[in-house]
Amino acid sequence: MTYFLQLVVSGIVVGSIYALSALGFVLIYKSSRVLNIAHGQIIAGGAYIVFALTVWAGVPIFLSFLASMAITFFLAMSVERIFLRRLIGEPIISVIMVTIGLMSILDGIIYLTPFGSLNFSFPEFLPPTPISLGGVSISWTQLVGVVITAILIGAFSWFFKSATLGISMRAVSDDQFASMSVGISVPRVFGLAWAMAGLSAAGAGAIIGNITGLNFETLRAFGITVFPVVILGGLDSIIGAVVAGIIMGLIQQFAAGYLDGNWGLNGTADVLPYIILLVILLFKPHGLFGTHEIERV
Amino acid sequence: MSANRWFATGNFYTTYRQEQRIFTTHLDRVLFGLFLFFLFVWPLFVSASNKHMLVINNILIAVVAVYGLNLVTGFAGLISIGHAAFVGIGAYTLAGTARAIGDSHVLITHAWPLMILISGFMGAAFGAFVGLPAMRLKHLYLAIATLSFQMIFSWTINFMTFFNQGQMIAVGRVFWISGQVGRNEHYLFWYYVILVTAVVCGLGVRNLLRTRYGRCLVAVRDNDRAADAMGMHPGLTKVYAFALAGFFAGIAGALHTYMFRGAGFESFTLHHSIIYLAMAIVGGLGTLPGSLFGPVAIQILELQMEHISEWAGTFLPATMNLATALRPLGFGLVIVLFLMFEPRGIANWWRICRSYFKLWPFRY
Repeated sequence: MTYFLQLVVSGIVVGSIYALSALGFVLIYKSSRVLNIAHGQIIAGGAYIVFALTVWAGVPIFLSFLASMAITFFLAMSVERIFLRRLIGEPIISVIMVTIGLMSILDGIIYLTPFGSLNFSFPEFLPPTPISLGGVSISWTQLVGVVITAILIGAFSWFFKSATLGISMRAVSDDQFASMSVGISVPRVFGLAWAMAGLSAAGAGAIIGNITGLNFETLRAFGITVFPVVILGGLDSIIGAVVAGIIMGLIQQFAAGYLDGNWGLNGTADVLPYIILLVILLFKPHGLFGTHEIERV
Repeated sequence: MSANRWFATGNFYTTYRQEQRIFTTHLDRVLFGLFLFFLFVWPLFVSASNKHMLVINNILIAVVAVYGLNLVTGFAGLISIGHAAFVGIGAYTLAGTARAIGDSHVLITHAWPLMILISGFMGAAFGAFVGLPAMRLKHLYLAIATLSFQMIFSWTINFMTFFNQGQMIAVGRVFWISGQVGRNEHYLFWYYVILVTAVVCGLGVRNLLRTRYGRCLVAVRDNDRAADAMGMHPGLTKVYAFALAGFFAGIAGALHTYMFRGAGFESFTLHHSIIYLAMAIVGGLGTLPGSLFGPVAIQILELQMEHISEWAGTFLPATMNLATALRPLGFGLVIVLFLMFEPRGIANWWRICRSYFKLWPFRY
């Protein structure tokens, strides 16, 4: 039972970070219908910026956390400005292929830095002894990570519900022409969606980096796991991203805890999300919370 | 139709049948024949080193694989980020058989054309399976399905002991009429096999595009609702496009395994999927000549990048991992720049060139 609870706790920890990373992906898809294949690389980039600021430049960690979010905010915005702005109006397939190219470019840039080949880990800045509650233990890093994730997701929900910019983003995702006619600048909203996605990605990256250490392969694998999460939750649903993130985290932890080592299986946590993804696409293609599209000619 | 079938200036089609011709003029036909003749004959006069033959064979294998990718991404308009996995399915069909029945079983050494075909059909089966969600959904969800297929493929190969956990699985030397193909003529022999396969597949694709089944792909890409109204089944067409892509990829994979005399995991990663996509985009999506230009251009680029990283490795610190960095960086840049500035690829330059000669002496 303790083992089960322990798995549940770590599943929720991992899942909430999935939720945060999936959020950025959903933002871009919701506003511009682009599947951003390069999202994992942006997450990795955010993690590295936090590390570089904290360890190499000596900035306090919370300050560098905020600074990296600001930096990726502008980085993602300029990516949209340079590469995607001129593709507005082109078929969506070429925009998605541009993000595939971006993924490759960002990979290359990260390989150029020491982060591509070496592993780093953040210095301990929280008490190293885990909190223990009746046999179930959770480390301080994980706890703080979950709390920050919850705060960020809450802030994003508030932003979409109440802030003017958030409302205009929702309007654009609902109907581009109608929102243009009420004076919303659609390209600006696209840029903003990318910027917000970069911001949430940096947050997610920093938290993952603190929990698992900085290994490029791990971070990249984490970025690709975002796809099963968003497909499970429905590509255009923020609630879906949160719920599906936590479900996926639980599934992965249970797979690692109960399946691995039995029946000659190994590393199932890495593959199960993708199998689930294929099954969902076959039987419930719009995910748990996605909008069902009704096509009218 | 102009009376002169050798040098026609401009297009003079009076029937659809004429427009569907593969070669519009005799000159086209002769030039194409000469080009093929050259491809078959040059090894008799020039003896290329094994290193060069390897590059040339790699290009031709990539050509076969890119036919498939071009069909699914260029003609049917579905992004596939898992093409290397389909190539891997073909390669591992062959390698798995070799592991199950021994690497110099008669089936592998003597019946190798059959094995290549079986690998193709295996690829087609997996392609159709991955394409199945297309029955229920539109838009580009399938890109994610192919990506996840790539991940599942990697996991299966890396963790299953049957596939030697991604380590090289050897395949024996094959036999030809003249006996076993030895070490010296290995690359030359496979050059001819791959060349014949590439030509046959190319003609097959060219002919497919003239039939209703090929035009169906294009119709579904351009507007699937209109295609639906015209009596095609968009979902089935997409599944069939994926099956075709899988077929060509499977054949390419089997050829790859035979040429390298084994299959290893590292040739079928996500990175290779992106390279295939880069080849298709650079060559020109939705054009047949593009499937030829793309692999040539990308392979040359890759060789150049190897030279650059070797040269730069002499003075850069070891942490600046230029050798691994340059490839993704280069391919990514090539993809993005081509999509932004020449979305129709090198095939468009070829088209402009051809139409210049076709219209001469007029300017347009």
